[in-house]
Order: sequence, then structure tokens, then C-alpha cells
Amino acid sequence: MRGYLALLRGAFMIGLIYRFGFLFIIIGNVIYMGVAYYLWHSIYDKTETINGLTFNETFIYVTLGSTVFILLKTYADWIISHEIEDGSIAVYLTKPIDYQFYALSISLGSMLTNAVAISVPTVLLLVFVFKVTFVFGPGLLIFPISILLAFLISYCFDYFTGLIMFYTESIWGVSVTKEIMITVFSGALIPLQFFPEAVQRVLLLLPFQAIYHTPLMLITRPNQDWGTLLSMVGVQAFWVVVMFVATRLFYNQAIKVLRVAGG
Amino acid sequence: MSLIHIENLNKHFKILNRHPGLGGAIRDLFSNDFRFVKAVDGISFDIAPGEIVGYIGPNGAGKSTTIKMMTGILKPTSGVIQVNGQSPYDNRVRQAQIMGVVFGQRTQLWWDLPVIESFKILKEIYRVDQKTFDEHMALFDELVDLGKLYGQQVRTLSLGQRMLCDITASFLHNPQIVFLDEPTIGLDVSIKAKIRTVIKELNQARKTTIILTTHDLGDVEALCQRIIIIDKGKILYDGGIKKVNALFGAYRTLKLQIDGFDESTLRALEEKLGAHFGPENGVSLSEVEDHWTDITIDQARTPLADVLSFVMGNFPVSDVRIVEISMEKVVRKVYDGALG
Repeated sequence: MRGYLALLRGAFMIGLIYRFGFLFIIIGNVIYMGVAYYLWHSIYDKTETINGLTFNETFIYVTLGSTVFILLKTYADWIISHEIEDGSIAVYLTKPIDYQFYALSISLGSMLTNAVAISVPTVLLLVFVFKVTFVFGPGLLIFPISILLAFLISYCFDYFTGLIMFYTESIWGVSVTKEIMITVFSGALIPLQFFPEAVQRVLLLLPFQAIYHTPLMLITRPNQDWGTLLSMVGVQAFWVVVMFVATRLFYNQAIKVLRVAGG
Repeated sequence: MSLIHIENLNKHFKILNRHPGLGGAIRDLFSNDFRFVKAVDGISFDIAPGEIVGYIGPNGAGKSTTIKMMTGILKPTSGVIQVNGQSPYDNRVRQAQIMGVVFGQRTQLWWDLPVIESFKILKEIYRVDQKTFDEHMALFDELVDLGKLYGQQVRTLSLGQRMLCDITASFLHNPQIVFLDEPTIGLDVSIKAKIRTVIKELNQARKTTIILTTHDLGDVEALCQRIIIIDKGKILYDGGIKKVNALFGAYRTLKLQIDGFDESTLRALEEKLGAHFGPENGVSLSEVEDHWTDITIDQARTPLADVLSFVMGNFPVSDVRIVEISMEKVVRKVYDGALG
């Protein structure tokens, strides 16, 4: 455990070293918020609610969605595929650590730098510049847990994608496909309520929605009874367990390619 | 009791035969035209605690493949491999605790962070206690002046500095065995010497078993009591350094550039050398490329200085280089039965 914390700390420090990177992410995010504001403003011009969401709710959903999107980018697929490609994975295979948790520690460490440097300015901008009003409720309390669970699910998707590198020796196409699927199916691009009823029903059964839809609903609609809130987080926890076990089994298969065929 | 026990170890790779050109690449997508490469072909040896063993051979001989099997990265196709009585493949995480590994072409240090941070991370990964950590860091500081580099980002280190850090880092958790895979690759002479001293001192201070693969015969001469020569996956020689040392230590190649060189110069050189030093003299004209004439000399029979002064006295020599015998030539000589 101490070892993984040290890895996490290391990754966190790397984020701090490249502090100028933040500046551009923040600037980019501000531009995106401005565009989203005027776009959704004109859509809501003639009506109070669309699909049951008010402008305030949709705007928070979309802008926080982009922040959460940055937070939940684990980059594990790129980290792993890069290590497989240049063979540096061998270095970690000679260390007394588990590869899945090694990659997770690295991803989590860089996510924490983003959490500090990006979400704080975004929330401040939302409150003081765009003057949105947050609704307070119990949903906000479990939001941090939900975001962590969402991160773990997102990590599993990326870890899985990275491991495909063992078979394909190239990850570009696979990673782009994964990215598009997650962006659309998870409700990161547009709220799931905007999809047709039937599609929504299918999407809610898949793990994608547990990444963005769940934490974002908690923050836009925090005033729900504890039963509903806990079942939302429960579904996330369920997917974390399923996907952790699944990717672990996949790793045990994938690593054989390296161990048998050489790297 | 041996620390590493290897018996009839094999590693075969299945490789797709690729065809040239775009058409070939498309054909390869559906091809089943595999060939098997015996990277390691039935090797056996035992290594005792505290030894420094040089594991040498030309490129593609199977050195790295063997190291990767000993460290548990690769799974053997067949045969027995035991490190400290355990299979490194089945107990990877546990076995990793007693090993240190340096791959010369890669680094275990964190590229973006100051040097000291990598040591701190390794300390936690290997669960080294603070007291041992402080002791080791003091030792490394004494050996390589590590303290000066603590605050420097790894990416800004020179190749030599980085390698010194990598090697000391692999000793941090006091492993029983350290594998050094080409630790001196691409380094200049003075830093090579430094690295050899460090390896030797760490071996003596900690009684660590060291397995060293290298291309540089200088490393072997300076460090190893025992060497194992491997080529094409098979062991050609396993034994004391003395016998081999006599072989490659004695040979030098004299490279000469002679003004107005042509066919007749070469013949004249051959005749004169033969006439002056006699037939059984250990001097031979080996190969000629780009106006350079190579004379290989067995110093046990004829001193290099004599040959050099004779040639300088009789031919208009414009440039001279003296090179040590290459790994490839040693292997060829071993094949030819030089070690009996």
C-alpha cells in the first residue's frame, strides 16, 4: 500500500512540475464554458424547460461535465500502451508490485493534480462569472464518492484499452473508438435525458452512464431521497467490482503474449 | 547451495515470416508462415552466492532472453529455472523483492522528477526501512557523489550519471542478486571505469551476486571471476576468466593507413612481415577496408611494439589505430577451439 501511495505521490508531483499545462487547460475550459453558455442560452430562448431540465440545470450539467471529463481522463491506455511499445513495462515487471494497481496509482496521482487545478477555478467561474445557482442537497455529500467510483470505472475502460496493445501493437484506433463510445454513451456530450426513451433504457444498463451521468445527476439534482442516491452509487460500485475483476482476468491473458512471445 | 539453478532451459519464439513490399504486408495479414527461433537452446548452469558472472556473447545470442527468464518476465518454453529455490515466473512479485535489475537501455528512475524522488519511491515499493535507507544513501553518496544529483531532474542527467543512479538504485533494497544488462552501453571510457569500480565495491560491501551482460570485454576483464559465453542460444564456454583472458587479452589489432596504398603494397607488406617475424609468429594480415590494413597480433608471441616499429620503418604509414579484439572475434575463436 505504501508503495502505491508513493507512486501516486510521484505522479501528483509530475503534474505540478508541468504547471503551464494547467494554464492552457483552464483557458480552454473557459472558452468552452463561454460557448456553451451562449449556445444553450439561445436554445432555451423560447422555453423554460427542455426534457425536464431547466437552463440552469443543463448549463451546470454541460460545463461541470467538461470538467468532470478532464478529471476522469485517466490516460491509462496511453501510459500502458507506451510502456508496452517501448518495452519499459519490463522494468515494472521486475518490481514487487501489481501492474493494475501500479497503473491506477499513476492515473490517480495525475487526476488529483487536475482536481485541484481545474475543478476549483471552474466552480469559481460558474458561481461568480456565470452566476449559476447550485442546488444544495444530500446528493452533493456523496458526489465525491461518486466521482471516485466513476474514476475507477473510467480507469478500467482505459486499462483494458491499453492492454489491447499486447495484441494489436498499435492503440490509436482502439483508443479513439473507446473515447467516442464513452463520450456519447456516458452522457458526457449531452445529457442522457436527450436520448430517445428506448435508447436511454439500454444505456442505463451499461457501465458507461456510471462514469458521467451518475455524478452529474447528483450535482444537478441533489435533492433526492437517500434511497435513490445510494442506489445510484451502488450501481457504480457494482460496475467497479465487475470491471476490476474483468480487466484483471484480461491482464492475466494479455501478459502471456509478452511472457510467451517476448517483448 | 547455488543461488541460481538452470537446467536444460529453452526459450523458443514463434515469428511470422514477413514479406517485402505492400503486397507482402497485405499477404502477411493472413499468413501462417511461422518459423521458430531458438533464442535459448538447452542451457544449464549454476551460480553461487556472491559471484560476479559475466554473461557475454554477440548481439542476438540469447543473453537478454536468459536474463528476462531469470527475472520472471518471460516464461521458459521448457526446462528448469530456480532463483533462490523458487521459480521466478510463478512467484514474480515475491521474487522481485530479492532481485535488482538494470536494463542499460531503459531506466527505473522517474524521468520528470528529481533523482531523490525515485529513490524515495523505490524505498516504499521495496519497503526499505528508514535506517537502512539512510545507510544506503550515505554509501551511494560516498561511492558516486549521489548527493549532488538529488535535486536534479532525471531527464537532465548525462547518460553516465543516470546509469550510476540506476545501478545504485538497484542495490537500494539490498537484493541477493543484481542483474545488469549492458550497464556500460554507450558510455565513455572514464565513466565506464567509474561504473566498474562502483559495481565491484557494491559487490564486496553487500556480498551481492551480480550477473552482468555486456558487449565490452573490458567490463568482463575488470569485474568477473567467471564468464559464460553464449552464442545462438547455446553455451560455448563456462568457466574461469583466466583462460579466456589469455585469449582476448593477448590479441590486438593494429590498423594502418599507408600512403599510396594499392594491391602491391598489401602483397609487399605480407611478404616482409612473413620474412621478418617468421611463419609461426602470431601475426596475420586480416582484412582490408577503406584503405585501412588490419594486422592481428598475438602478443604472447610477438610484441605489438615490434610490429609497429617494423612497419613504420618500412612503409609510409600516415595513420595508426590499435583496437582490442571484438566480441565477435572472441566467439569465433572459441568456436575454432581456442579454449580447448
